[in-house]
Amino acid sequence: MSWTCEHIESRLSDYVDGLLEPAERQAFAAHVQACAHCAPLVSSVSSLVRGLRKIEQLAEPPRLVYNILDKTLGPRETAAGWRAVLGWLNAIATPRFVYGALSVGATFAILLTAAGFNWRKPQLADLAPASVYRSTNRQAHLVYARGAKFMNDLRVVHEIQSRLRPETDLPAAPESTVPESTPQKQPGVTDGAPATAPRQQNRTNGMYPERTVLATNLAAVGPRRVS
Amino acid sequence: MRRHTRRVFNLCYRFTGNGAESEDLSQEVFLRIYRTLASYRSAHGGFATWMTSVTRNLLIDHYRRTRRDRMTDSLDDAMPVVENKESSARRPDEQALLGELSGQVQAALTRLSPELREAVILRDLQQLEYTEIQHVLQVPEGTVKSRINRGRIELARILGQMGVRPS
Repeated sequence: MSWTCEHIESRLSDYVDGLLEPAERQAFAAHVQACAHCAPLVSSVSSLVRGLRKIEQLAEPPRLVYNILDKTLGPRETAAGWRAVLGWLNAIATPRFVYGALSVGATFAILLTAAGFNWRKPQLADLAPASVYRSTNRQAHLVYARGAKFMNDLRVVHEIQSRLRPETDLPAAPESTVPESTPQKQPGVTDGAPATAPRQQNRTNGMYPERTVLATNLAAVGPRRVS
Repeated sequence: MRRHTRRVFNLCYRFTGNGAESEDLSQEVFLRIYRTLASYRSAHGGFATWMTSVTRNLLIDHYRRTRRDRMTDSLDDAMPVVENKESSARRPDEQALLGELSGQVQAALTRLSPELREAVILRDLQQLEYTEIQHVLQVPEGTVKSRINRGRIELARILGQMGVRPS
């Protein structure tokens, strides 16, 4: 079936949107190729749709979102008086910030104490860099001297204890604690006992005890020796 | 929120061609959505489709409300070239915002009938599917296709008259 210009016009959007069946598409193209009226129409509508798809959305005015929020959720609360002054505290009134601030404060307190700052009689002169350095240096030497004295005392106490300890408390002589070796026995030499002796735990003996019994009995029975 | 706002604002702007009106209409749309959110059912299509329906209904109401005002301006419609020049002179910032083609398309859209205009805007500028447009316009699929087809042909003809050929 060949298509007329009315067909083409009514199915133009289906053609542009790719909704025509292959056979319909073929008939559509065949007509458009031959028709001087439909060819420019199809071309202009196709390029229009391509152009429209490329147009980007316009940016909305920045105030529009805030106006919408004001209209739907109500106007934003504006702080006044002392609330406005202390409003910035809300931003830092979080447990995380408080813990952080406390730990920083504690660290400073420890450092200042170590630097010789007197908390009972605080003086601004104590915070001067020179006095802080002097105090820190003195404290470091004091700590070192105390540590050295403590170690020395420990050493003296240990020596005194060692001298006062009775002989009986001393551990036994090393000779008595070491297990006695077998002096007559050389390494790699057996004691000469027969392999069939009962105290020698031989696997072969264990496996064939009846052979010994049989040989003993046969010797007792007759003069003939069984080889 | 910003994505939805942009979508609604663009729909209003493309339909009315007026920035200030579009802003007011967008606010009304969101106010209506906020008040009628309980009536939204996912069976009516996605949230975006429902929002587009609300916008479209409000635009049609607005169009009917302001029809009388436009009747008095019918002389301007008879002289579209003059009207375009005036509108350019009135809203230079808006014209600057629009790209060249975007502005020409906007001028051509305002000369389409509201039925064809909304169909073309929804399909080619908002890029909705046929079924979604059917949900929004509450008309059969054949009618949607027919309106989109006629709208495109008419828009291409108007742009051709304006000497514009989009590539």
